[in-house]
Amino acid sequence: MTVAAPSSSGLPLGSPTAASAVERTRPFFAQALHDTFARRGAQFGLAWICVLAFLSVFAPFLASSFPLYFKDASGVESFPLFAQLTWIDVTLLASFIAFALLFFVPSRVIGWGIKLLILTAVTIAAAFIAAAVIHPPNIQTYARYRTLAKSGQTSSLSAPIPYSPSDRQRDQSESDFLSPRAGHILGTDRDSSDVASRLIHATRIALSIGFVSTGIQIVVGILIGGIMGYFAGKTDMFGMRLIEIFEAMPRLLVLITVTTFLGRNMFLIMVVIGLTSWPGTARYIRAEFLRLRNQDFVHAAVALGLPLRSILLRHMLPNGISPVLVSLSFGVASAILLESTLSFLGLGLVDSPSWGNMLDQARAAGGGFNWWMAVFPTLMIFMTVFAYNLIGEALRDALDPKLRQ
Amino acid sequence: MLTYLFRRLLLLGPTLLGVSMIVFSVFALAPGGIEGALVANDGNLTPGAKEARERYLKQRYGLDSPPPIQYLRWLNKISPVGMKQDDIGKYTGFGFKSPDLGDSFMRNRPVRVLIAESLPYTLMLQLISVPVTYVIAMLAGLLAARKRGGFFDVASGTFFLGMYSFPVIALSVLMIGFLANANYIKIFPAQGLSSLQADVWPYLPGYANGHFVPGYLLDVCWHLIVPVICLSYGNFAFLCKLTRASVLENFRADYVRTARAKGLRENVVLFRHVFRNSLIPLITFLASLLPSLIIGSVVVENVFGIRGMGQLFVEAAQQRDFELSLGITIITSTLTLLSYLLSDILYMVADPRVTFE
Repeated sequence: MTVAAPSSSGLPLGSPTAASAVERTRPFFAQALHDTFARRGAQFGLAWICVLAFLSVFAPFLASSFPLYFKDASGVESFPLFAQLTWIDVTLLASFIAFALLFFVPSRVIGWGIKLLILTAVTIAAAFIAAAVIHPPNIQTYARYRTLAKSGQTSSLSAPIPYSPSDRQRDQSESDFLSPRAGHILGTDRDSSDVASRLIHATRIALSIGFVSTGIQIVVGILIGGIMGYFAGKTDMFGMRLIEIFEAMPRLLVLITVTTFLGRNMFLIMVVIGLTSWPGTARYIRAEFLRLRNQDFVHAAVALGLPLRSILLRHMLPNGISPVLVSLSFGVASAILLESTLSFLGLGLVDSPSWGNMLDQARAAGGGFNWWMAVFPTLMIFMTVFAYNLIGEALRDALDPKLRQ
Repeated sequence: MLTYLFRRLLLLGPTLLGVSMIVFSVFALAPGGIEGALVANDGNLTPGAKEARERYLKQRYGLDSPPPIQYLRWLNKISPVGMKQDDIGKYTGFGFKSPDLGDSFMRNRPVRVLIAESLPYTLMLQLISVPVTYVIAMLAGLLAARKRGGFFDVASGTFFLGMYSFPVIALSVLMIGFLANANYIKIFPAQGLSSLQADVWPYLPGYANGHFVPGYLLDVCWHLIVPVICLSYGNFAFLCKLTRASVLENFRADYVRTARAKGLRENVVLFRHVFRNSLIPLITFLASLLPSLIIGSVVVENVFGIRGMGQLFVEAAQQRDFELSLGITIITSTLTLLSYLLSDILYMVADPRVTFE
């Protein structure tokens, strides 16, 4: 059985893919994924997200005030950057390495499900081990290696951007709101921190908020929507009221309320974004399940006496999940937008680097305008949201039965 | 249709009840509970004012009772139907009364008055930006659908998605920074809804003492341009894609083939047949624009210094003004629900095939 490889080059943006002309021999989802990433837009989106993933995993190695290698005047060698790594850095590195290794193992040897399980297991294990073993120093003296290097007779190899995100550079006078220049390629912010460094470290927050809150949204949405669609009748009616309640609540206002009154906490922000955005997913799943519940295979599953869990999750869900896959990508984009809006209003995380917060600092006191604080964070937010939206749109076109003829 | 409307109106009650319960429980979950959120602000009050405030809070929430009772007491206060209370807090009877949203701690004025002052600004921004969005988006969507796969269609498809992905926070900051700043280009005003001198200007533009005076109306319009652009472009891109899809779907319908077979000109087919039918689904999206409009107005009002609800809410949250935040959230939810209802009614009016029975 041979499949003619569809050429992905030379296709105009937005046209139906050449793959639809090929005789379909792959499973449905594999084909949909293939169609999705045969499009230029989705390829661009995926490439940018890979860049972001790279930035967020290797952030401490790309931007840090601590040199990778340092030899002081008396000839003692040390690796200051490695001593500063936190358990989060190590966990991310471990799961990245596991992902890279698994990626090159053909899926015929190890199945996708098993790969995912291994990746999750490695990540969780790495997190626990790292949190128990690694204790970076509580107080960081960012200026230490700069002053040592100035005194001479030392040799060091520093990170490409030699400033940590919260390095306020108190050893250097008058260094707040510097425009881009040698040394600070993207300038400095209100607290004299390096903008490039903060941009890189902020990818972590943006990506993790996007993923976790969308995960919560999908799980809650599938659970409530599935139950509503399967049982219909009174359950459906009750669920619909619940959906209406959550749709009537203004998301941003609830998010602001929670962060100001319950504390500015990243996990809280993730949970609130997730819990206020599930109604869309639930509506999709409900509609699909209402359609599926009267089909023969579901009746057969019920007649066989299968447990409810099996009917809902193993029989109905795989048939009704495609609209959710689309909302997954758009959901990540809107979660990232929501978080940056919150930070922009000055109500987001305290002290953590965030794109929205940097954008806020573009408006200087007295009517000034720090253009570098506006342009670079804007580029990051826009590219990220655009990337997810491009993938979402390509997915929607690939999964839409009307366009697959 | 009337039964349907009646049922929807009846369902409004329980939904609002649910919203209020969830929002109130956020405050009840705050460290120290309701009184923690309320009394924490009382640090620098004079002794007399402090006792007056404690008396007020006790009567309003019953601070020594458990959160569910506090919720019920507060609910009774804000609902237009409920137990009446006399001056010392004794319940005297049941019936209609004026809803009491409480007092803002930050401004020391009733929440109802503050909202009544700021709501018109927000509504004005929305009421200008929604029609603008609709008109331009429908025309652009029509153009894109007219030659499917043509240059305008393909280019605009990606361009609109890009526009939709562009954050409001970024556009408003960039526009203020580059177009309302003396260091770059100073065309637009940076702050507020009118110039300082606008109060003494006549309403319409004209000449006074030999100088041209833009007048109050023109001045306000000039101030509104940038905020309205920031508020509408995202929804514009979204609506444009919808119009395109809707027009394309209608192009495939039988009645279009009939119209073409009759020998009608393409423009007549497009505008008199397809366009009208394509408008129907757009009406339902009026309600789904709302969440992004709320987010947009919070951002735009804060950036441009417009004294609307969004700015009031962010100030209230920053000062931890409990009753003002709660009041604005409840009012916004009510307006959201009403606009969902409105868009359903419009849908029924626009399309006689639609029934909700």
